[in-house]
Amino acid sequence: MKRIFFIGLSILFIFVSSAQAIELPEWHGFAEQAYGYRISHDTLTKHRDYNMLEQRLQLKTRYPIPGANIISQWNGVLTYKGDFLLDEYFDTTGSFDLRELNLAFSPTNIMDIKAGRQILTWGTGDYIFINDFFPKDYVSFYIGRDDEYLKEPSDALRVSLYPKMVNIDFVLIPDFTPNTMPDGDRLSFFDSFQGGIVGRDSRRNAVKPAFKAKNMQYALRLYRNFDSTEGALYYYRGFDPSPRSYLDEANLQLFYERLDAYGASLRGPFASGIGNVEMGYYRSRQDPNGDNRLIENSLLKLLVGYEKDMGNDLKIGLQYLYEQKLNYSDYRSALVTGDYCWDEYRHLLTQRVTKLFKNQTVMLGLFNFWSPSDKDGYLRASCAYDITDQWKLTFGVNIPWGEDMITDFGMMKKNKNAFVRLRYSF
Amino acid sequence: MRKLLVFLAVLFFAAYSWAQELSVDEIVSKANNASYYQGKEGRAKAKMVVTDAQGRKRERQLTILKLNLKAGGDQKYYVYFHKPNDVKGMSYIVWKHVGKDDDRWLYLPAMDLVRRIAASDKRSSFVGTTFLYEDISGRSIDLDEHELIASDPAYYTVKNTPKDAALVEFSYYTVKIDRNNFVPMRAEYFDKTGKPYRTIEALEVKDIQNYPTVTRMKAMDLNSNSDTVTEFSDISYNIGLNDSIFTERFLRNPPQQWLKE
Repeated sequence: MKRIFFIGLSILFIFVSSAQAIELPEWHGFAEQAYGYRISHDTLTKHRDYNMLEQRLQLKTRYPIPGANIISQWNGVLTYKGDFLLDEYFDTTGSFDLRELNLAFSPTNIMDIKAGRQILTWGTGDYIFINDFFPKDYVSFYIGRDDEYLKEPSDALRVSLYPKMVNIDFVLIPDFTPNTMPDGDRLSFFDSFQGGIVGRDSRRNAVKPAFKAKNMQYALRLYRNFDSTEGALYYYRGFDPSPRSYLDEANLQLFYERLDAYGASLRGPFASGIGNVEMGYYRSRQDPNGDNRLIENSLLKLLVGYEKDMGNDLKIGLQYLYEQKLNYSDYRSALVTGDYCWDEYRHLLTQRVTKLFKNQTVMLGLFNFWSPSDKDGYLRASCAYDITDQWKLTFGVNIPWGEDMITDFGMMKKNKNAFVRLRYSF
Repeated sequence: MRKLLVFLAVLFFAAYSWAQELSVDEIVSKANNASYYQGKEGRAKAKMVVTDAQGRKRERQLTILKLNLKAGGDQKYYVYFHKPNDVKGMSYIVWKHVGKDDDRWLYLPAMDLVRRIAASDKRSSFVGTTFLYEDISGRSIDLDEHELIASDPAYYTVKNTPKDAALVEFSYYTVKIDRNNFVPMRAEYFDKTGKPYRTIEALEVKDIQNYPTVTRMKAMDLNSNSDTVTEFSDISYNIGLNDSIFTERFLRNPPQQWLKE
């Protein structure tokens, strides 16, 4: 199905480009060298001294469909973005990562369509996603790749409608793409099957939902402005993008439980800054009563955030996230001896400080996660210097820490790193 | 007899209005309109070259779309970045409000992320150039006291003193305004010790669709010895932009017909 889609897109591309004298599109992108040094050596993973060593070449282009065909009349634009990656961490001979290949067009005045591989993001959080279930790559996040790589592409159809009252985004994702989570080769993590922090010795695996009509994912966003304030409602029907439930304990199998989510957000001027509120109710469809010890319970999430410009190119941001596992007593009574017991509540605070220097060519950024309830945290600090318009040097640190090994950041505590990236953009 | 009366009345009014020098507020208001509110809406490409004290150059290229909601009042801006290459494809919307903070959104296409920008400080650098946000979108004329300090056959010179000195880095600034078309030709900013430290100069003014328009301007920072020259090209007014361009829809899907390179 996926293959058919891309073949179709390629044929369309050839068809429209051969119909016309081709105006060659402009190519842009970058070449980058990146290295991540382990501050705390980790003997569990493939390499104990480093967790990133790679060269990357990104090429991208946009191609407005020419000619007198219908796609051209609908302002059709083909977008391509792909990365050639030489990942020396895994001694690979090179791989190719197709990040975007999609066709966007507007069949009517109030409708946009984007079909194909694309990056999808919505919601109001800063590094916190409540109503955005599109795939994320947390390995890239922890090893210090560019923020761009936190988001993974989806093969999707996005239909946007803009009638007078409210804007509508509808996304259909036929095949499920999970989040990329630490799996032990590069980053160690807590494996409940082994009861500790593990690396390459982890034997667990996560089973993806099969590719069939019943497993399609739907995401919907309704949004509009009330003067300067943006309001949005969200709905998602699909799967938890991280494997949090057990399929078969004997065979060390996890799976992505079915999930419905309902959410809402507001964002707008508040106390001479920008305030935002977002909530989400996650309904665990395979464990609605919360009494199945193997399947994640329903959840409630609430986020409050504030960002302020302090002047002199200094900005600060604060967020508070509240999470509650619903039907907690049912969950507790269903547990058996030997099970790990997860908390009912989680409180997470984040702080962001960004300061620009030297005509905005030097950026110092600090982002800190801190959870008083989990007693863990994660400090991300970086400094980026635009040496010229083409060359950019970035270095930084990723410091996850925690008292326990089972919490989100605590389990990552052996993965502290310091990274450097040198990029040439063209 | 009646004809004579009419003639006298006309003569009287002509003499009256001729003798009447424009008030400083009228001059400032006309200058504000000439710099920031020409046409109903319009488009321009801007090439900004920043030169630092060592002579190193950086270049920014962007397309600016603008909609005036009310002369001298609220406006909407759409900015699309062509250069440098690492920000190419980013777009930016400003809803400029007179009397309260602007609304700003930035779209990062690599992450498909619409970010709301907290931006109370309008006196920070515009995309890393020597120009400040206020130089690009205009400083509300209500924020300063205006005083006409010189008037010669070619120019008015107006001294502007901030009503709230704590909000800005200057103690006052002077603006030389062309008497013919009210285009501000040169602004000079003085720091708290009374020393000039930054200037903005119109280097070239052209008539575009009967609107006198600055097509080349230079901002100099005398302290850091750096400057930025901005050249505007492909300027056109009243091209039929409407309100809907300045929304999240077009932030995520830049309006190609207005952004051709």
